[in-house]
Amino acid sequence: MASDPTRKTPALDEAVRADTFVVIAAYNEATCIEQVAREVRRVYPHVVVVDDGSSDTTFEAARRGATYVLRHPLNRGQGAALQTGIEFALLRGAKFVVTFDADGQHRVEDIQAMVAPIAQGLCEITLGSRFLGGTKDMPTERRRTLRMAVLFTRIVNRMDVTDAHNGLRGFSRTAASMIDITLDRMAHASELLDQIRSSGLSYTEIPVQIRYTEYSIAKGQSSRNAIQIVVQYVLGKVMP
Amino acid sequence: MNPFQIIALGVVALLLLLSAVLLVKGWATRRDAILWMLLWLAAGVAIVWPDVTKVVANALGIGRGADLLLYCTFVAMMVGFLMVYARLRRLRRELTLLVRHLAITNAAVNTSPPSPEDDPRTSGSDKAPANEA
Repeated sequence: MASDPTRKTPALDEAVRADTFVVIAAYNEATCIEQVAREVRRVYPHVVVVDDGSSDTTFEAARRGATYVLRHPLNRGQGAALQTGIEFALLRGAKFVVTFDADGQHRVEDIQAMVAPIAQGLCEITLGSRFLGGTKDMPTERRRTLRMAVLFTRIVNRMDVTDAHNGLRGFSRTAASMIDITLDRMAHASELLDQIRSSGLSYTEIPVQIRYTEYSIAKGQSSRNAIQIVVQYVLGKVMP
Repeated sequence: MNPFQIIALGVVALLLLLSAVLLVKGWATRRDAILWMLLWLAAGVAIVWPDVTKVVANALGIGRGADLLLYCTFVAMMVGFLMVYARLRRLRRELTLLVRHLAITNAAVNTSPPSPEDDPRTSGSDKAPANEA
């Protein structure tokens, strides 16, 4: 893994790492989930993979790499899978919960930057931002779509964030217990921000880097999906 | 009565009978069954005496009875659509909760510590299958 020492975060205590649960939602990620889970588990003993009803061998692959593997018997969407992982982590006594993407786009080194401010009691929630970090090789179209998403977030969620849809997020136990993601599919990112704002929990954006590989680009959301996400989110607001 | 009235009245009578059966057998809730029966009765009245709809329509400032029915149908369909959509959302939500419960109850736990191949110093290759016995 290419380590990029552009920024230094003090290494986490052994105790903090042992209390940190890294939650990964995976849907048809058999090719990389084992490797991703294994890399995280080298540093963090509690890696929770939620297999969201994959039709490939994601479950078996995750079993070889992760500490805990949960399986949704039916596909319920990323938001639902994350909520499952968070609830499981809380049941297991997690003090810190970090969500991490399954496709290898996040760097394990960035996790400690997500947990450190919470462990130090500076805030309850950390949100990864690729625009604060030095993310390279971001496809132009992706950059444009994400900028739009940020604008949408600033207007609709009334939150001043720089990256609305980053999968890397950190929660204190208190924050994780208050979060309840009900929008199953990708619109959960906006819903989550809503809940953070209305809960009054303190949050900080943390610069992180995204590795745009061919694989993660192919697995990522297409710009066309963005419209769908907006529609789903708005419907979620008006329908009980 | 013209042929259309006879056919339509027959259909409505059948539906009325069906609703009555639902009510008697308890296959629908009492409220639903009675609402349906009232609807079929009203339809029967409108078929036999079409002028009734015209009177109501005129009272509301609508020209023709048929237009009144059209508007009512549209509103009823929209309400029906929203009710079905709301129910669909609730079902989806309940399904997710059920799936979540199953997933958490049946969680697979890997008790073995990360295998030696996982040591960053020794693991150079990408694939290092854990040997689980």
